[in-house]
Amino acid sequence: MKADEASLARLMAMAQTGDRQAYATALAACQSWLRRYFARRIAPCQLDDLVQDTLLSIHRKLASYDPARPFLPWLAVIARYRWVDHLRRAYRADEVALDGDYESFSDEPGVTARISLEQMFTGLPAAQVKAIELVKIDGLSVAEAAATCGQSESLIKVNIHRGLKRLAAMIEKD
Amino acid sequence: MTNDTQNPPIASALIDGLVADLNPVRPMRFANGMLLTGAAALLTIFVSARTLGLRSDLFSGYLNPVYVMSLGLTLLLAIAASVAVIQMSRPHVGNSPSGWGWAAAMAAVLPIGTLVTSAQFYANTGTAGVDGEGGHCLYTGVLLGTMSAAALTLWLRRGAPTSPTRAGWLTGLAGGSIGIFALALYCPYDDIGHIGFWHGLSVVGSALLGRLIVPPLIRW
Repeated sequence: MKADEASLARLMAMAQTGDRQAYATALAACQSWLRRYFARRIAPCQLDDLVQDTLLSIHRKLASYDPARPFLPWLAVIARYRWVDHLRRAYRADEVALDGDYESFSDEPGVTARISLEQMFTGLPAAQVKAIELVKIDGLSVAEAAATCGQSESLIKVNIHRGLKRLAAMIEKD
Repeated sequence: MTNDTQNPPIASALIDGLVADLNPVRPMRFANGMLLTGAAALLTIFVSARTLGLRSDLFSGYLNPVYVMSLGLTLLLAIAASVAVIQMSRPHVGNSPSGWGWAAAMAAVLPIGTLVTSAQFYANTGTAGVDGEGGHCLYTGVLLGTMSAAALTLWLRRGAPTSPTRAGWLTGLAGGSIGIFALALYCPYDDIGHIGFWHGLSVVGSALLGRLIVPPLIRW
């Protein structure tokens, strides 16, 4: 289910009053939205975990959404926070292909572009983006990433550390 | 709303569980956060006035301008830091509370003034111009600040702050400013040496405590 801003905002406002049907519809729509939001910015094998973690956070932090304000910028912050948290965890990804329908988020222009994960990467130096993409998203080891992009292994580690720190500081920036 | 071509394959069980667990929640309105902080601040002032008393000249109409200015700057810092904390609890892309920085810079005039006057005093007399009897203000200010800091921490725990570290600093800063504002209604010292050093140190100490204590309590 693909939801628009106004519908989601209305559903979440109803959910805050305890309307379970509205909440179920909103969460299903959020789930779909999140899968497209995270696509290509998380290792495919991590996508389901990240979406579920984000849904749990939405549930726990439901009160922090103010129905007088737009919904998607709030949802994006929750998603970004969980995404940075996931990137911080060390893992080596098993590569699996994504289902076609979730591969792109670029079909929604305007506000969505402003709150996208790509927008966050534009605030980072290219070397930090590359290090994060290779190790944290593509799942390469530090040595493999160093061989791929020409940075030393220690520089890869430093760039990941600094990049994630910057990303964490930019969660609410547009 | 339109139907997508494919339903997400995961998490339907999770969604069912979350829906079953749903309870009505009160949205975290900005005004409610300010009311909570205001109530905590009033309680702080009340406790300070009851236990320590008030300055004898507080309502005389002849207050020292330095004292009045420091009181105003402290209050401004307390409000700005509290507003920032409350905004941080209700995140959204594009949220960038920065007013507290300007208020902190303005309040920093007091300790900077202390440094300048102390340096001049030292050059003329060979001794520091800061009195050594401000320890009471230092720790009492921190202690009084805990009430408002605790209220803000509870508010943050309900919310979703995306930068727990910054939220910790600001919670301590807000609590410390409110604490030292309440204490200043009692403290009989008017000179910038005392206010800038001991009261300033109390606010900085509160902010540091906030940085150390609050982040683990509000991570989500």
